[in-house]
Amino acid sequence: MEKGRAVCWNGRVAGVGGMRGLASVPGYVVMQPTTLCNLDCVYCYLPLRAADRRMPVAVAEAVAADANVWAAAGRFSVVWHGGEPLAAGREHLTALMAPFAAGVEQHVQTNATLVDDAWCEFFAARGVRVSVSVDGPEDLNGQRVSRAGRPAYDRIERGIGALRRHGLPYAALCVVSDPRPGLAARLYAYFLELGCDTLGVNIEEREGVNERANGHDAAAVRAFWAELAAAWRADPRIHLRELEWSLRYLGAVLDGTDGGLLPRTLDPIPTIGYDGAVVLLSPELAGFHDPVYGDFASGNVLTSPLSALLGSASTGWVPEFLDGIEACRASCPYFGFCGGGHAANRYFEHGRFDGTETEHCRNSKINLLEGVLDHVRRH
Amino acid sequence: MSDDTDRLADRILDARAELAPLLEEARLARLARSEGPGTDGGAVCAWNHFENIPTFFNWNNRPR
Repeated sequence: MEKGRAVCWNGRVAGVGGMRGLASVPGYVVMQPTTLCNLDCVYCYLPLRAADRRMPVAVAEAVAADANVWAAAGRFSVVWHGGEPLAAGREHLTALMAPFAAGVEQHVQTNATLVDDAWCEFFAARGVRVSVSVDGPEDLNGQRVSRAGRPAYDRIERGIGALRRHGLPYAALCVVSDPRPGLAARLYAYFLELGCDTLGVNIEEREGVNERANGHDAAAVRAFWAELAAAWRADPRIHLRELEWSLRYLGAVLDGTDGGLLPRTLDPIPTIGYDGAVVLLSPELAGFHDPVYGDFASGNVLTSPLSALLGSASTGWVPEFLDGIEACRASCPYFGFCGGGHAANRYFEHGRFDGTETEHCRNSKINLLEGVLDHVRRH
Repeated sequence: MSDDTDRLADRILDARAELAPLLEEARLARLARSEGPGTDGGAVCAWNHFENIPTFFNWNNRPR
């Protein structure tokens, strides 16, 4: 980890280091075993979720050729994402996982509606780590619906019940569309009861086919995060991603070590589409086309090794994104906390990659940190 | 911009007395969750070296 900030005469650091260029080896890849999802959530960004386009095994074999080497050298993960990855079926997912060495961590991000005893046995046998998408108690899950528009909560709850019955640990991702006071404590209490060990809270983002505006009153967002901090503090059993990162940064500022928090380079986080197309940095860009940027793909693993594609990744829109990271570094006081706006948020909010502050930055970074500070001032 | 950064850092430093107990509570909570530094869980996050959590639950560009 680099010590990225030079110390000035007054003891203050000059500029924030890290996040310069793309790493040649990712920490994980996101794989799309099928484009199909059996749900039709209101805020979903995926363009092809009604179609069942399945990943050929040859795509998994091509990715595994590099992933197995990377996993031998350090921690490396495959995240089976979607669509709904379980909609590919156990037989196909088994075939897709087969080329990966035992040292590759397998993760699945699922809506849980298809999870049953057989899937739990599948997860246990392969050491698959499970993360469930659920937005809180039933009345807060109204946007997670079937293709017929019916609420999916009872099926989500049944799937999570199967995980619990089998003693499988699981994480949860929660989308919040309207962050406001009075919501966070109820959400946290729900996830404590649910029994997840890790929780990520995603304020709804404007991206992909979801064009809903995501601007919110800053005071309401800060109050949401402050309330979540207070609720977590009362019973911190869950690893709450947003709180952990806030506290990690705040502690580092107090210790004067915040210059070393950001990674030296950006993780390229390749998303491998069902057809083998590789999209870097933001899974939300996969499957889209732009008159200027094209299909956002850096190549296809069926024609070039993934490692080779990463080695030549500074083409297309990626250099513009890296300019955007530098613009964030130069202009935003929160850069040392955040590391720069995400590619998909820039594109879907600004129409290009070299802009700086997005609504997502305000909702999920700036007002998060300010909300945690509000909490400690009041406590 | 460096002035803005300093102002943010100053506000954080000014809150040291209030932040310190919260940071200590978080440290103890991590230990209770077996996420402490040096924990021999073998599942060290690729991004952050003392988080025994799924690697894709990192801070930047995480899947939704």
